[in-house]
Amino acid sequence: MISDLLYRLRALFRRRSVESELDAELRAHFHRQVEKFVKSGLPLEEAKRRARLEFGGFDQVKEECRDARGVNLIETTIQDLRYGLRMLRKSPGFAAVAVVTLALGIGANTAIFSVVNAVLLRPLPYPNADRLVVVGERWMGGGGDLAPPDYLDIAAENRAFEQMAAYKSWNFNLSAGPRPERVTGAVITTNTFSLLGVDPVLGRGFLQGDGGPGGERTVVLGYTLWQARFGARPDVVGEKISLNDEPYTVVGVMPRWFDFPDGAQLWVPPRFAVPEHPLRLDVDPATMTGSHYFDSIGRLRAGVSVAEARADVDRVIRHIAEARPDSEATNGAWIETLHQVQVGDIRSALLVLLAAVGLVLLIACANVANLLLTRGAGRRKEMAIRSTLGAGRAAIARQLFTESLLLAAAGGGLGILLASWGTVPLAGLIPEDLRNMVQPGVDGRVLAFTALASLLGAIFFGLTPALQGARFAPMEALKETGRSSAPGRHRVQRALVVAESALAVVLLVGAGLLVKSFLRLMQVNAGFDPTRLVTLKLSLPAARYPDKASQNLFVRQVLDHVETLPGVESASVTTRLPLGGGESHRGIQIEGRPSRPGEDLDTFYAVVAPDYFRTLGIPLLRGRDFSDHDDANSLRVVIINNSMARTFWPGEDPVGKRISMDDKPLEIVGVVGDTHQRDLTGPVEPMTYAVYAQEPWPFLTVAIRAAGSPASLMTEAERAVHAVDKDEPVFDVQTMSEVVEASVSPRRFYMLLLGIFALVALSLAAVGLFGVISFGVVQRTREIGIRLALGAQRSAVLRTVVGEGMRLTFLGLAVGLGAAVALTRLMGSLLYSVRPADPETFMAVSVLLTAVAGLASYIPARRATKVDPMVALRHE
Amino acid sequence: MPNQRIDLPQGTLDLLILKTLALEPQHGWAISERIQQISSDVLRVQQGSLYPALHRLERRGWIKAKWGASENNRRAKYYELTRSGCRQLEAEESDWRRLTAAVGQVLSIAD
Repeated sequence: MISDLLYRLRALFRRRSVESELDAELRAHFHRQVEKFVKSGLPLEEAKRRARLEFGGFDQVKEECRDARGVNLIETTIQDLRYGLRMLRKSPGFAAVAVVTLALGIGANTAIFSVVNAVLLRPLPYPNADRLVVVGERWMGGGGDLAPPDYLDIAAENRAFEQMAAYKSWNFNLSAGPRPERVTGAVITTNTFSLLGVDPVLGRGFLQGDGGPGGERTVVLGYTLWQARFGARPDVVGEKISLNDEPYTVVGVMPRWFDFPDGAQLWVPPRFAVPEHPLRLDVDPATMTGSHYFDSIGRLRAGVSVAEARADVDRVIRHIAEARPDSEATNGAWIETLHQVQVGDIRSALLVLLAAVGLVLLIACANVANLLLTRGAGRRKEMAIRSTLGAGRAAIARQLFTESLLLAAAGGGLGILLASWGTVPLAGLIPEDLRNMVQPGVDGRVLAFTALASLLGAIFFGLTPALQGARFAPMEALKETGRSSAPGRHRVQRALVVAESALAVVLLVGAGLLVKSFLRLMQVNAGFDPTRLVTLKLSLPAARYPDKASQNLFVRQVLDHVETLPGVESASVTTRLPLGGGESHRGIQIEGRPSRPGEDLDTFYAVVAPDYFRTLGIPLLRGRDFSDHDDANSLRVVIINNSMARTFWPGEDPVGKRISMDDKPLEIVGVVGDTHQRDLTGPVEPMTYAVYAQEPWPFLTVAIRAAGSPASLMTEAERAVHAVDKDEPVFDVQTMSEVVEASVSPRRFYMLLLGIFALVALSLAAVGLFGVISFGVVQRTREIGIRLALGAQRSAVLRTVVGEGMRLTFLGLAVGLGAAVALTRLMGSLLYSVRPADPETFMAVSVLLTAVAGLASYIPARRATKVDPMVALRHE
Repeated sequence: MPNQRIDLPQGTLDLLILKTLALEPQHGWAISERIQQISSDVLRVQQGSLYPALHRLERRGWIKAKWGASENNRRAKYYELTRSGCRQLEAEESDWRRLTAAVGQVLSIAD
């Protein structure tokens, strides 16, 4: 194999000497033959003639020797490339259209693929990232957090993990400057960094002894925070800073990309073996059997699979259940890879987009193929001449295909450029957890993808024209006086147009379904009125607001201040804003309703101040709102939503009924309208509201209903908070419309992208149809002229031409709708309250395509009717 | 005489060249003469197929070429069998024998 290659290369690079050797060899052979004939008695001249006759053509022999040496393949490729470049330079308009069409198709594919590559294919940037898993218990069809005692038992008894770590996202009030700032951070067990395999860029990570009750509090800073708030000073290590009004010593700085978990920018060790409970900082969580508030991860031992880890943890859980009947992890283990958890739902959306953009490339290729075929018709003479000069069919096909490869290469190169711009807006596709870690750049895999897409494209659009170009009788072509049609070519072009419209239909249906889903989503009644509503978040540090009384006082003062601001209609607080993200569930028991075995009654839970429902615009259906008289000293009361009332008290009035939570009895005083809490698409869940004065909580959102524009209130509301406590950071100040918008923005983004792809597909298909019909008209000018001369009506000509376009379109439409029925089923998870085979969407797409195709064939048809019979007959 | 000539399939020509060269290194003309001679003029090798075949065999590494002085002191390109060429010849020879024997058997039955 290698010697073969060496031989070829030697033959290529030492071509001149190899050629002259061959020449000498053949000459010697010839002379010997002549000598032989002379010896046998022939005269010299006759001997030479006979020898030459026997020998055949010198050059032919040489050419065959070259072929045998294997030089020709390389040489002719270079020749073909040169010739191809020359031909493309000679028709720059054609080349430009083809290259730009391909570049758009390939570029869009490369851009989407680079995101797919970054999010789905590349591993997370941790060493042996495939061994990192999230560990939880099965809960409500997904994964739930482990209770501290269960976590500790699993961490101690499992055999599947090298180690396990626990972490809790936490907001810190950092007072290291003129204004207090709220920083997202986390309380993490001291082994978290080493489990992930990430080292600090400065200083050290946590040591086993860090944290712990009474010990010195240490903190590791995130790179971005270090740059922004500490001027990137290397001597920050050892410095004392104040977090939540407690002193901490900085021990290290993490790398720039590292923001695990959830965008954390600082990390502190827990006071206990696991992160402390947000409300009971000084209580050892090891005793909290019913609290589920922190996340855990594990690093699998080498060679242990996720399934084996599940089985192992299940074993431990069974063991725990025997030893400790109060354990809550009875449903078994829930273990998934960290990558999968962080990628989340985006996988199917990305794959749908990749498929869609692949279809766009197919259509672009079909268009270029059409261009090539049309151009091939004009090059028949050129090919005929080449063919009579001795070029074989294979040589001509190879030449034509080389031109296609050149186009594809240029398109691919330009496409990569386009893609590198495209990845900037596409970064919005990356799930938030991964945004800092992965950059959708062009790497080896993306380059390989682009090269492959270009090559496949070239095969797709170049092969048929190349074969068509080589398949004809040269003599006929030379005899032809001008451009006239080759029926085979025309059939292929029509087939391409049909395919293009079919593909465009699939994309249009896909985009149409997403648009309809989005419109449906926008019509969903969220259950509250998001207009003129300002929200801001606060988190009260335990050092300054250690107890319920102080938290309650702070909230009352803030609300008093805010309510007196001009332009405020009403204001209240909640611990959980609808559509604001996060989970808050509480288990309940219903008085007088025996709990069924295995049943976990569970409701969404929020704590709100009086006037909350009025502020949000949630209707009060029965009973009363909370009032200032519902305080720590009065009867415990709750308000429930309508869906909870219907679920547990069907046909009854729940007002006055009692439920209990953590064994504390609560009386229902009112029923309010349903609100979408988690997202707009899911069902409304039962929900319980408690009153802030009775159940204070340090993390809260202030909601303010403005009389006019909410924008001016945003800064004033912040000032009102600082009037109560100047060290209290205010964060996430936004209007409720922005909150709602953020909850649907991924859907809006997919819809826009797919919509753009579909429109590009539609225009490409229309251009393709336009091209083929126009070409047909030009070729049939003479025929049309004759018909007109024989008295045909111009309207009849118009009908014929448009009719042909429509026939192709309807064929494409039929194929496309069929394909769409099969394919859109795959995007079911992206749709909302629209069936994949939605007749309305299919109808709308059919009308749209027919209209556009009608226009695309009407323009050339008009031209056909303008044909002057006299000119047409002289045409050519 | 031309009527008795048989056109050689490519693989067979390669085999004949290898066999000829197994006797002694030869230049191109002598190879074609030798084949013609030994086959009593039945097999004639056209130059048009001989030289491409030689180049092909050289590329595969079965023969190698070097320039030397010929019988009457003219420079000529001599081809000789390489070690892998020897092995190739043995393999092809036995293949050929099995093939002709088998074909012969079939033909004799058909009569």
